Amino acid sequence: MPTFPKRRRIDFAKFDPSVTDREVKYGLPNSVTFCRRCVTSNQKPISAVEFQHKPDSKKQAIHLDDRDICDACRVTEKKTEINWAERDAQLRELCDKHRSSDGSYDCLVPGSGGKDSFVAAHMLKYKYGMHPLTVTWAPHVYTEWGWRNFQRWIHAGFDNYLCTPNGRVHRLLTRLAVENLFHPFQAFILGQKSLAPKMAVLHQIPLVFYGENEAEYGNPIGDNDSAVRQWKYFSAPEKSSIHLGGTSVKDLTTDYGLEQVDLDPYLPANPEDLKSLGIEVHYLGYYMKWHPQSCYYYAVENGGFEASPERTPGTYSKYNSIDDRIDDFHYYTTFIKYGIGRATYDAAQEIRSGDIDRDEGVALVQRFDGEFPTRFADEIFAYLSIPEREFPQASKMFEQPRIDHAYFNNLADSFRSPHLWSYNNGQWSLRHQVK
Amino acid sequence: MVSTTSSQITLLDNPPVLRLIARLDIKGSNLIKGVHLEGLRIIGDPQVHAAKYYADGADEIIYMDTVASLYGRNNLIDVVSRATEHVFVPMTVGGGIRSVEDARTLLRAGADKVAINTAAIKDPTLIKELSDVWGSSTIVLSIEAKKIAPKMWEAYTDNGREHTGLDAVEWAQKGVAHGAGEILVTSVDQEGTKKGFDCELISEISRAVDVPVVASGGFGSLNHLKDLVTASKPTGVAFADALHYNKFSIQQIRQFCIDSDIPTRKAVFQAKTDK
Repeated sequence: MPTFPKRRRIDFAKFDPSVTDREVKYGLPNSVTFCRRCVTSNQKPISAVEFQHKPDSKKQAIHLDDRDICDACRVTEKKTEINWAERDAQLRELCDKHRSSDGSYDCLVPGSGGKDSFVAAHMLKYKYGMHPLTVTWAPHVYTEWGWRNFQRWIHAGFDNYLCTPNGRVHRLLTRLAVENLFHPFQAFILGQKSLAPKMAVLHQIPLVFYGENEAEYGNPIGDNDSAVRQWKYFSAPEKSSIHLGGTSVKDLTTDYGLEQVDLDPYLPANPEDLKSLGIEVHYLGYYMKWHPQSCYYYAVENGGFEASPERTPGTYSKYNSIDDRIDDFHYYTTFIKYGIGRATYDAAQEIRSGDIDRDEGVALVQRFDGEFPTRFADEIFAYLSIPEREFPQASKMFEQPRIDHAYFNNLADSFRSPHLWSYNNGQWSLRHQVK
Repeated sequence: MVSTTSSQITLLDNPPVLRLIARLDIKGSNLIKGVHLEGLRIIGDPQVHAAKYYADGADEIIYMDTVASLYGRNNLIDVVSRATEHVFVPMTVGGGIRSVEDARTLLRAGADKVAINTAAIKDPTLIKELSDVWGSSTIVLSIEAKKIAPKMWEAYTDNGREHTGLDAVEWAQKGVAHGAGEILVTSVDQEGTKKGFDCELISEISRAVDVPVVASGGFGSLNHLKDLVTASKPTGVAFADALHYNKFSIQQIRQFCIDSDIPTRKAVFQAKTDK
C-alpha cells in the first residue's frame, strides 16, 4: 500500500479570501508582520535540528521586537559596536594556538567554493598563515558555473575532499523530504552539516572554520555571543530519534530498502569522538566584518569566481547560492510554506549590508519573489522521480513514483497555509505582502 | 616597422578618432559599480564624479539607470538636469526608455543622446520612431552581450540578468537598419573584471555595422586599450571601474593614447597642461 497518494485533496474553502478564522500551519505566528528595516516577515523559521524534522514539527520563527525590527537587523545594529581590531587579535591568537609547523593541516574549512567559503579558506591561508584542508559536500546537481567555481577555489591553493553521496539514496531522501516536509534541500543540509565534524575526526583537525554565523539570518541573538557553535546542531545523542526526509531510520530500512551504509553519510558524528578530539567550531563572521558582496569581489579578484549567466529564478541576484540546480526549488518551497522566497532572503541581506535601501528591496520582492523556477524544472522532476527500475522497493511507497508539473503543483498546494494564502478565481495569492 | 596583416594596415592608415567616455551607472541617488553587472556597490554621488570626469577631459558622459526596469521608468531626469550645470560635453542617458515621450523628457532635461535596450528588443520599431523624431545620431542602441560560444554572443537585458535569445551581432545590424545611429556594446563577461575588453566582440560588431561603436567593459590597464584598437575599430571607449576607483584618470588615458599613436581629441588635455 503506497504511503504517498497520487493526488492530495486540497480544501479550497479554507483559502477563500473571506475566511477570517484561518488555519495556521507549522506553528507559525497567526498574524503576519514585516520587519520595518528589512523585508523579512515574522513567518521566517530559524534553522532547527534537521534530524528531528517531521511533518508535524512546529517551527520557531524569527523574532520581531515591539518596534517590528527583526533579530537579524538587530544583530547588524549591534555589529557597529564591535571592536574589529580586538576580534582580529582574537583570531590571530586562535590561529597561533593551532598553526602547524610539521606539514599537517591545522584547520578545516567546509564549503562549496562559493564566494563565502572562498574568502574563508583564502584569508586563513594567505592572511593568517594557516594550512587549511577544505571539504565539500556535493550539491544535488551541479550547475556548470558552480562546478567551475568549485574548481577555481581548489586551484586558488587548497587541498579538497569532495564527498558525493550515493545518487540514488540522495534522490530518495530528497523525494521523501519533498513529500513529507516540502523541503528539497534537506538531504543536502543533513549531509553538509555531518561531513565537517566527521572529516575533522578522520583527519584529527580540531579547529573548524565556517564563514558566517547563521544568526545573521535570524537565529536568536544569543547564538552569536559565542563564536563556538552549539553542540546541539552537530551531535544527535540517540540514533533512534533520527529522521531523514521526515522518515525514521527504522522505516527507511524496512520500507524503502535502504541499508545502514546508505544512511551513514547523513548521520552526525559520534559525540564521543568529537569530545576526545576537542573540536572547536568557529565562525569567521565573528572575527571579521562579513559582507557577502565584498566576498563576491574578493572571490572574483583572487580566484576568477564567475557569477551565474542569468539571475536566479525568484530573485534578482546572480552571485550567491548558484552551484546547485535544486536551489531554485528550495526557495520556491519556502515561498509556498512561509510566503518568503529567494528575493526576500537576498533583499533582506543586502538591506542589512547597506547595499540597497528598503524601497528597492520591497520593489525587488514584489517583482521576483515566488516566481516558479522553470529553467531546471524538468531536470529536477526527473531527479525527484523514483522509478521502479531503479528503486524496486521504494517506488512501491509512491502511488505515482514519477513527478511531473501537475504532481508538484498539487503537492505545493497541500503545503500552503490558509493564514498566508488565498485562492480566488483559480489564482493563488498571498494575503500579506511586504510594502 | 612591425609586421602587420593587410587589414591592420588599412586600420592604421585610416584610424578613427577614439572618444574617451566616462560611464556612470546609477541606482537611485547613487553612482554604483558591479562585476559582471552584479554585486552592485555604492560608489558615491554621481554629480561629484561626473564633474570630475568632465574637468579631467572626458569626451562624453554616459548615464545608465540600472533600476529603471524595476521601477518601470527612467529615474535620471534630476541627475541629468543637474549635470547640465557643470558638464559641457555630450551626455548619453539610458535605462527604462520605452517611448518617444520618455526620450523627449530626458532630451529636454539635457541629454544629448538616449540609449535603449529592453524596449527596443521588445519592439524594434521604437528605434525608428525615435530616430524619425530626432535623427539617428541621437539614438544609441545599448547591447549587453555575453559570450555563449566561440564567436557568438547573446544580447541580454536588465543589467545582464535576462536572456533575450538574440544574437548580439545580428541584433546590432538589425538595430542599425531600424535607425540606431550608434551602438554601445557592454561585455557582461568582462565588465568590472579589469581583465581587458572582449576585443573579438567589439571587432565583430564594428565590422557588422557602419555606425559608431562604443566598447564598454573590461578596461583594467592601459595596454588593454592598445589590444582593443589593434583588434577592432571602436569609435569610443567607456571607462567606469578604472575611473570610479581612481585607478586611472581620463588625462592619463588620453596621454597614453597620444604616446601610443591612438588618435584622440587632444584639445582639452592640452588646454589643461598649458596652465
